[in-house]
Amino acid sequence: MTASSTPAMVELQGVAKRYGEVNALHRVDLSIAKGEFVTLLGPSGSGKTTLLNLIAGMITPSSGRIVIDGRDATTLPTNRRGLGMVFQNYALMPHMTVFENIAFPLEVRRLSKAEIKRKVGEALELIQLGHVANRKPRELSGGQQQRISLARCIVYNPALILMDEPLGALDKKLREQMQLEIKRLHAELGITMLYVTHDQDEALTMSDRIVLMNGGRIEQQGTPDTLYFRPETVFSAEFIGSSNLIPGTVEIGADGAYALNTALGRFAAPAPERAIKAGERAVLLVRPENMALADAATPASVAGHIEDSILLGGVVRHFVRCADGSSLIIQELNQPGRSGAHRGEAVRAAWQPQHGRLLPPAPAG
Amino acid sequence: MAQSSSASDLSPWTALLLLAPLTAVMLLILIYPLGLTVWTSLYNGRFSFDAYVELASSTLFLRVLRNTFEIAIGGTLVSLLFGYPVALHLAAQPPRKRTAYLIMVMLPFWTSILVKSFALVAVFGNQGLINQFLGFVSGGTLNVPMMFNRVGVILGMINFLLPFMILSILGSLLALDRRLILAAETMGAGPLRIFWKITLPLSLPGVLAGVLINVTLSIGMYITPALLGGRQDMMVANLVDFYTRQTLDWTAASATAVALLILSGLLVALLGKVRGSAGLAGAGA
Repeated sequence: MTASSTPAMVELQGVAKRYGEVNALHRVDLSIAKGEFVTLLGPSGSGKTTLLNLIAGMITPSSGRIVIDGRDATTLPTNRRGLGMVFQNYALMPHMTVFENIAFPLEVRRLSKAEIKRKVGEALELIQLGHVANRKPRELSGGQQQRISLARCIVYNPALILMDEPLGALDKKLREQMQLEIKRLHAELGITMLYVTHDQDEALTMSDRIVLMNGGRIEQQGTPDTLYFRPETVFSAEFIGSSNLIPGTVEIGADGAYALNTALGRFAAPAPERAIKAGERAVLLVRPENMALADAATPASVAGHIEDSILLGGVVRHFVRCADGSSLIIQELNQPGRSGAHRGEAVRAAWQPQHGRLLPPAPAG
Repeated sequence: MAQSSSASDLSPWTALLLLAPLTAVMLLILIYPLGLTVWTSLYNGRFSFDAYVELASSTLFLRVLRNTFEIAIGGTLVSLLFGYPVALHLAAQPPRKRTAYLIMVMLPFWTSILVKSFALVAVFGNQGLINQFLGFVSGGTLNVPMMFNRVGVILGMINFLLPFMILSILGSLLALDRRLILAAETMGAGPLRIFWKITLPLSLPGVLAGVLINVTLSIGMYITPALLGGRQDMMVANLVDFYTRQTLDWTAASATAVALLILSGLLVALLGKVRGSAGLAGAGA
């Protein structure tokens, strides 16, 4: 609900969905601006697919209002919402050729034969698959099929394209390639896109804005940077990126400086964005890349021993076991000639206090 | 690979031994009588094709043959017309309801064809429910003959044919990926277009399988035309019966039976070919 000047393409007002006693989606307010690339991110069962299906019109909300492109679409049938949708299993018509598949939405719109031919040609050009026009979908690879299904969407220029885990069935390399391709198409065509995924890397790579869902609610939304660097809850911190979480009790000094008393020691931390009172439980978040191996005691450091060190190519990850049994992750850049840390070696995990972030404790259960 | 190697581990003798019982039964109840029939049609004191030559020039046989194909194809088409909507409805049901409805579809199988035929007379006959009602509302002027004619035969046949048609179409419809329909809907397609462009073409393998089974079953129909048809509705099987029991001409009866077998075999092969190409064009899933 950024109060941006661009008009909204999709506007959800208090939309909820119940199945009997089960709340698949609690009251959600969400606004997607024209031309925006928004990702619904969350674990399975978080309500992201429910939200997508509500916008697509495959299910109707139990309460609330859905406005698409300035038109109340709450009860509008799917085929009159003017949407495009890309499915995980591509959903290409197996009995039609690639050309016929892409021509289908144009035939629905009663375009002339010549115009259909031209537009399908252009769409195929855009995804660089002109040479497969006369093949059947199953003669193509998964990546090609998904590009065809993208072309089938783009060809009729819908106001909004919904994507339901479109890359879930592809292998890692192809997935990364397709992510860039979708991003390129979004930038070139300026179509509003709503993308559903459970893959945080995909969300970080592609989105203008990430809407993180949890238990049928919006947990937090913002740019990838915001979600990564300024998570508001333990759930957000854990779901996006990896994190070190140290629980403790808040202490506020006479000068208003915050600190957290933990089993590992007392650590100074920046003031939290949402006020936490002294004496309350809180969690200190430090991202692994903000921690480093240190030799001597520094203002914020914890003693422990290296349990394992793994090489991830450009970075190295150390797993440090602390005195109280908890474990911390340290991530350092890998460099030629880097002196390896040995398993069992006593080390200190250190960080700059300003890189810490105080979060309210995770709700019990 | 592992499976095929374990299959080939089976020694030829073991395989033969395993197949022997069924082979013996089939030889006894299928191949031997069939051979005997072919033999009888060709050998009557001496070896000749006379019976077939006679058959080909017999107006009775040609008329009966035409009847047979008309009735078989007509019955199949009516069964397709009635069966497709039922299959479509069944496919749209939640699984629990579908099972209950399927039992209703299968119900005719559990009743003797004789009982069903007489029940049909009670409903569609001259004194049947429908004609009594028509007579009542029209003051006795209206009476539609629906039994002991072509209509009667087809009514009796589809009663038997429908479950086969419905089940094979249903199989195809259930295999259809729901997301294809959803995709078409998001692209703006209405229900009619979705049916013609997606549902129907993708259910064609099931339709053709149903047609194949129906034609095969109805081409050899015997009891139904005998009970519910008129004199003009004799089918080939009835002609065989006529030769064996009325004229005692076993050579003609055998030749007729063999001709029926060959013709229906050809028809099945033809439909199978069509079905094969439809299968290639149809659902890849």
